[in-house]
Amino acid sequence: MWFKDMLDVSGKELRKTVSDIGVLVFFIVVPLLYPLLYAYLYGREVVREVPVVVVDDCRSTTSREFIRKSDATPDLKIISYCSDMEEARNLVHRHKAYGIIYVPAEFEKTLAEGRQATINLYCDMSGLLYYKALLSGCTMVSLDMNRDIQMERLSGLSDWEKDVMTMPIENEYVTMFNPANGFQAFLIPAVLILLLQQTLVLGVSMMAGTENERRRAGMVLGHEYDNPITVLGGKALAYLLVYGFTATYVLCLVPWFFHMPQLWQLPTLVAFIVPFLLASIFFSITISFFVRDRESCFLLFVFASVPLIFMSGISWPTSNMPAMWKVLAQIFPSTHAINGFARINTSGALLQDVRYECLMLWILTAVYFMLSLLIYERMYRSDKMPGAEFVIAMRTRMRKNLRVARRDIKTVSSRVEANLENATERIRSRRRK
Amino acid sequence: MSREFGFWAVVRREVLRMHSRPLYGLSIIFAPLFCFIFFTTLMGEGLPQSLPAGVVDEDNTTVSRSILRNLDSYQQTEIIKQYSNFSEAREALQRNEIYGFFYIPKGTQELASSQRQPTISIYTNATYLIPSSLLYRDMKTMAVMASAAVGREVLFAKGANLDQAMGFLQPIQMDMHALNNPWLNYNVYLSNTMLPAVLVLMVLMVTCFSIHTELKDGTARKWLSLANGNILKAVSAKLFPQTMMFSLMALIYLVLLYGVLEFPDHNGFWPMLVAAEMLILASQGFAVFIASAIPSLRWSLSLCTLWGVLSIPICGFSFPVMGMPEALQALSYLFPLRYYFLIYVDQALNGISLVYSAWFYVALMGFMILPLVDIALLRKAAKKYTYLP
Repeated sequence: MWFKDMLDVSGKELRKTVSDIGVLVFFIVVPLLYPLLYAYLYGREVVREVPVVVVDDCRSTTSREFIRKSDATPDLKIISYCSDMEEARNLVHRHKAYGIIYVPAEFEKTLAEGRQATINLYCDMSGLLYYKALLSGCTMVSLDMNRDIQMERLSGLSDWEKDVMTMPIENEYVTMFNPANGFQAFLIPAVLILLLQQTLVLGVSMMAGTENERRRAGMVLGHEYDNPITVLGGKALAYLLVYGFTATYVLCLVPWFFHMPQLWQLPTLVAFIVPFLLASIFFSITISFFVRDRESCFLLFVFASVPLIFMSGISWPTSNMPAMWKVLAQIFPSTHAINGFARINTSGALLQDVRYECLMLWILTAVYFMLSLLIYERMYRSDKMPGAEFVIAMRTRMRKNLRVARRDIKTVSSRVEANLENATERIRSRRRK
Repeated sequence: MSREFGFWAVVRREVLRMHSRPLYGLSIIFAPLFCFIFFTTLMGEGLPQSLPAGVVDEDNTTVSRSILRNLDSYQQTEIIKQYSNFSEAREALQRNEIYGFFYIPKGTQELASSQRQPTISIYTNATYLIPSSLLYRDMKTMAVMASAAVGREVLFAKGANLDQAMGFLQPIQMDMHALNNPWLNYNVYLSNTMLPAVLVLMVLMVTCFSIHTELKDGTARKWLSLANGNILKAVSAKLFPQTMMFSLMALIYLVLLYGVLEFPDHNGFWPMLVAAEMLILASQGFAVFIASAIPSLRWSLSLCTLWGVLSIPICGFSFPVMGMPEALQALSYLFPLRYYFLIYVDQALNGISLVYSAWFYVALMGFMILPLVDIALLRKAAKKYTYLP
């Protein structure tokens, strides 16, 4: 019985979703298009060819070699040679260049004397990626040239002596799980998860807002189901059904379209995403009670996306967050889901590696389920949203009224008919006279 | 001007409307204020310190231990655990216990002393880009220094002094000057744009919402007649109290950033105050433009929201605009926040002459007068629209 009720509620909720274009936008259109936009935005992963200017006061073979080689790195592009720093600075100020490479006049001389020569780099700090490009580009060139210079100087020595002196211990660097060390593979998984949670929150609140508006206008009486659990379960089932598809698209297809790392294994992904969706659904239902009308969900919840993504620790490391925010972050499903999904998707973590996040998501599911149930119960008891008894009483009263009305109509019409007959009778009798 | 009609009558009406709904208080005061406090305290450290890292030391010799000891003494790296083998460390990486680890294979010292160039490896989890890059920097320096230390000893043994040794080991060195943010402070870098970005988002949404609820609730005619049928007067009076509130919020974040936290602001308070004020007016102008162009509350609000949210990535403070596809580079000119960001870079961060930023101020002014294009449509809608229950 309760199961049938639940399916009933589910069906109604689905019909409501499909018929409400606003909700459909949140549940389908935004998840469909927004990730594509973001992936397009960060599609190039890293910044290449950052424009820089050169001030070469040395004008020697070595300095020119350095500049030529910097220009040849993928990171930098030399757009102009300036005669002095003033001119170079002017180009930076006009946003034509983001860095200055300055080679001092005594550069070559210092090198020739066997002392350490310095090249000065100046970087516009409006973006950290410019800094990264300038530093890594020039460092690469200098390491390369340093070796050449050393080899030259060691020409009198044997091979093994050269080796010891230039690089006794080699080192290598491996950026695990994000081969391009880029923006896309790092930010997109977080954006995708947050998108799922936020669209759920917005869509569910919009439905709740609509219902409230209708109730205020006297168009909705209340629920016809006795048990709030069936209502809650039915709704959750409907959303889970819709989001099963949405999540598959967002989490599996979008990264695949854009050739992002996808190291997940299906059982792990499913076992992790189901509690995430459940937690988000009950979270949405819980906070949707604070929404009075259809459109206020925009004003209330959209801005939260920005702090939420930072709370997850994907950008600023969790280990360095103030305790207050670390604690607050725990109550949002997105925090755990972003951390879990980023590792499942990008670093190939298994369920046991994300067991803390998974556990937290189940706990949040339970907590928000209880909370929403509590609110439902209270609403049922209040006259704001009367429960089944009220609805049934209302219906019988209306049926009775209808019956009375029908009877009245019958009596009235029969009376009218009788009068009509009387009248015709009278007219006829007059004519006869 | 009578008390019942005109500019101030609409203003008074709007103040009462705003007062009657907690929604306005939440979105004009609470949301921005929360974000101001959140971002500035979140990144209070400026640059993350003591990032958890691990090591796999299969060598266990004096060389490997001295490398690890030195690495641990770096401010930004904290070695929290030593793992016995590579897979253990990798699993810790996947569990997010550490952001990176140092791998010193067996026989490093032996190979180094017999001049056979051993390799030590640095692994970082680039899923977390910022901690990964910072750890890499420390670890790389350490690896190079470890190598140089060995080489330096050899040179010292041959009778070179320190100057000569360094001149040999690193003939060309880089001297990096991070202009105006020498600490690489992330708080400076992010909060300066994040705080106005949140404010812009709220301005766009509240403006659009407050105009369209008049249409939705069927009060638009009354609103318009209160302003003597002049739509420009009606809109400006309606937005006036909001402008005041948002300006107050802007003042709060400016004082917070440049007064309390003392972030670089080279040309003083005024250029930024003017920029922030113009940013608010520009966003309101843009929102009125959208609200007039699209007669439905939901769709115009959706578009304003999209614009507000997209402002953040597209203004180019985290991922530069020059790295984006060309179509999006062109699109970035349509976002008021982009111009504010450019003004901030010029005026606060780099402190250059106002002349360089003049066009950005003009662009913001352009957004302010944008509603003149289509506000007639709003007037038509306000007169025609009757509420159907």
